Amino acid sequence: MRPRNKCELMTNLRRFGEPRLRGKYLFISRIKSGRLKDLVDYLHWRLGGYYSTSIGVDERPLDGYFHVYHVFVLEKYGVYVLVDLPANPGHPVVESITPIVPAANWAEREIMDFIGIKFRAHPEPHRLILPDDWPDNVYPLRKDFPYDEKLPTSDKIAKLVRESPSDTWIAEDSEDHTAIPVGPYHPALHEPEYFELFVEGEKIVDARYKGFMVHRGIEKIAESRLTYNQVPFIAERICGICGFTHSTAYCQAVEEAARIDVPERAEYIRSILLEIERIHSHFLWMGVAFHLLGYDTGFMIMWRLRESIMDLAEKLTGSRKMYGANIVGGIRDKWDIKEEKVALINDTLGKIREEYLKYVPKIISMEEIKKRTRGVGILSRSDARKYSVLGPHARASGINTDVRRYRPYAAYKYVDVEIPVEDDGDIYARIIIRHEEIIASIDLIHRLLDNIPRTHLHADTDYIPERRYGIGCTEAPRGEDLHFVITGKDNKLYRWRPRAPTYNNLLSVPTMLRGEHLADAPIIIASIDPCFSCTDHIVVVDLRSGRRRPLRTGGLVGGR
Amino acid sequence: MNRIKVLLENLRKGVVTEQYPFRPLRVPERLRGKPVIDPDKCAGCGACVNVCPPNALTMRDDKHSSMRFIVLFIGRCIYCGKCEETCPFGAIRLTKEFELAAESREDLYQVVGLRLYHCPMCGEPFTTVRLIKRIVEALPEEQRAAAIICPRCRESVTAHYRSYARR
Amino acid sequence: MKLYRRSLWVFHLNSGSCNGCDIEILNALAPRQDAERLGVKLVGSPRHADAILFTGPVTREALPSVVRAIQAVPEPKIVLAVGACACGGGIWHDSYCVLGGIQGLYRVLKSMGITPPKTFFVPGCPPKPEAIIQGILLARGLVRQKQVRSEYYEEQALAEKAEVDLHRLFHKYFWVRVPPEAARVKYGVAYY
Repeated sequence: MRPRNKCELMTNLRRFGEPRLRGKYLFISRIKSGRLKDLVDYLHWRLGGYYSTSIGVDERPLDGYFHVYHVFVLEKYGVYVLVDLPANPGHPVVESITPIVPAANWAEREIMDFIGIKFRAHPEPHRLILPDDWPDNVYPLRKDFPYDEKLPTSDKIAKLVRESPSDTWIAEDSEDHTAIPVGPYHPALHEPEYFELFVEGEKIVDARYKGFMVHRGIEKIAESRLTYNQVPFIAERICGICGFTHSTAYCQAVEEAARIDVPERAEYIRSILLEIERIHSHFLWMGVAFHLLGYDTGFMIMWRLRESIMDLAEKLTGSRKMYGANIVGGIRDKWDIKEEKVALINDTLGKIREEYLKYVPKIISMEEIKKRTRGVGILSRSDARKYSVLGPHARASGINTDVRRYRPYAAYKYVDVEIPVEDDGDIYARIIIRHEEIIASIDLIHRLLDNIPRTHLHADTDYIPERRYGIGCTEAPRGEDLHFVITGKDNKLYRWRPRAPTYNNLLSVPTMLRGEHLADAPIIIASIDPCFSCTDHIVVVDLRSGRRRPLRTGGLVGGR
Repeated sequence: MNRIKVLLENLRKGVVTEQYPFRPLRVPERLRGKPVIDPDKCAGCGACVNVCPPNALTMRDDKHSSMRFIVLFIGRCIYCGKCEETCPFGAIRLTKEFELAAESREDLYQVVGLRLYHCPMCGEPFTTVRLIKRIVEALPEEQRAAAIICPRCRESVTAHYRSYARR
Repeated sequence: MKLYRRSLWVFHLNSGSCNGCDIEILNALAPRQDAERLGVKLVGSPRHADAILFTGPVTREALPSVVRAIQAVPEPKIVLAVGACACGGGIWHDSYCVLGGIQGLYRVLKSMGITPPKTFFVPGCPPKPEAIIQGILLARGLVRQKQVRSEYYEEQALAEKAEVDLHRLFHKYFWVRVPPEAARVKYGVAYY
């Protein structure tokens, strides 16, 4: 039986360890030996919550231990459960939860890379993020590693260049094909994708992923070089498409930790900018989806419509992409949305909506589009739960989840948010979800603009106490974006861990690819909105002959 | 059928392409473009260097030529406008200039060199002449003495006077 | 660069950027700016390209592929470093996992005995699509360069006079009886 309220939940959790409630955060520490798996099973599968991410922290200067926090979101009880697993620095080993929750696979491997904590019984304990030539036993996120240490690049690069003269990469049948120059090093958000597809004839039987070429050491820079109010700018550059949602999530996390009340006007402005960003991101995705479906007219139309949104953003914030509006505690002064700008936004959005409705309903009801997308790339509801998929991707599989409604932040507290949900779980459902979200977002901005209050723009943030925990969540265009912070000394963070939604969504792609036609692979991968540019180069491995050949869907998108 | 309707809509829309290089582009008032330091206003205090997230602004003191160089490298700038917000003299601001392409890396620098001010007591340079001059002009007569010596000497002077007071 | 007065085919090489510049490059080819009317074509393989649109700060992981992609472009080639990351390493210029933009990359290339190609810089974070178009046209020699290095050095005589005035003020306040040269000793406190 599910507990009815927080109190009963706490009683139930005492079976597994020591729960402590601190505001919205429910820490469970001192897990009884052997009960971790039961606890995770209870939280993820029985309580109706979901696994969100894991964070490894080197807290040796504070309490002498490494810590792993597994974050579970229990929307029904309005709490974040943080399962706290300390690891002894002499022998840093903790139990893995991946066998119970497959979604934890990458997060745990990431901790192995960065902090050097080993996970017992992890199904694939290989290196995930750090480059291949990175030395063993050097863990960049430990506090004794300087952020600007440049380890000498090994001879590997020179050797690679020498061994494969640039002329031979075009030859067909050799093993070298897995790493041709057009390779997969270009980005999704911060997750560039490189799938290896195993095929039998035209059918895909399995897929494997390799990536993380865009690891730039963001977390370490933010913890070492930048101050609280400089981090929003690096957070914005995590992703060039949905940057503002990252900086908002970061600011919310610090505000949570330091208990800063953000003025209402700042909350409204944040929400308006977030919705503008969502619209431009969905426009972009739709254009790319049409392109991958072979309908380039649609691509051009979507990108033309998107230009008016970009112009609007430029007029409001001074830049098409990087809004730069957030600071901890609110919005910067110059980013205020004044009377004349309100009129401007209303006008522009009215025009965009009108033009959008002229085109897109016609396009998505075209038979050609339907035939390519209906019943393709299906992700069932239970698989979606298994991998903790998020955002429009989850909503297309019938999971009603949206941070804006169930854990409202910024100005979403004051307005109703419409959330479309589809049950089919195929690509067509994902198109429909995003189509409806664009219209809902436009309406939402109008409503937000109607009652934007007159208050200050930012709160006073002189003092941020040390060693406070905070989680900031926003609904990015691709799903829940979660930022975890621990505050530190000297106006700097102790630990910051952003988790973009694609991190969870990508894990579900191999499931969707299985049993599909090879020709559908690009659109299936693109349908989670990973960042389209990566779908264009995939290495195909034919199982029967063992031959590898590069598959390129080339063309304009990604432009490889 | 829908395919044709979409094409008809497109025809009705007409040409959307801008004639950019042939006709100048209209940019919004608010555009955050190239930051420019006004060398006459800049006093070399280094406030902008402190807040710049990507370290596009750097500061270097050269004791031999007794100059302080504020170097702005536009190639690394992220156009956040923090410097503009912070500058106490309004010397650095973001312009609407966005056509910044250059043939060499050297073209992307702006250098402002200011004379260093030496402390009259210890002779060590610690900030620029211009900054001290502005501070002295802004302060009332009786507080000026504290501004013209370096922080280290100020400390020792204070300690000296304090010791008199205690005796 | 007389060679490239005509159509320029570009290959977009991403060495770990945030996507901002990459999408602006695509935007430059979208209907509004439509770089194709100027003969710019985005190609799918470095083998077909005349120029590389280079974005990102060059992460360690991407380095081997980047080096090989640059090698694969036939001579003569040019590189356009697009965005703050490629031009100067951007906000992560000194991170442990980043080489710091095109300069760091060229250092590696030189150490391997490869001569870096001719490079143009298009700063911006991200640069506007029009700025990218301007960069491409600059590489083709069709437009004038607008950005110039500016240097300013304060006049020595004036500044020294101001300093002397301030030092005179010092003597007024502190009643130092010794000449200023002698006062310029460490622990000058002893002199008054």
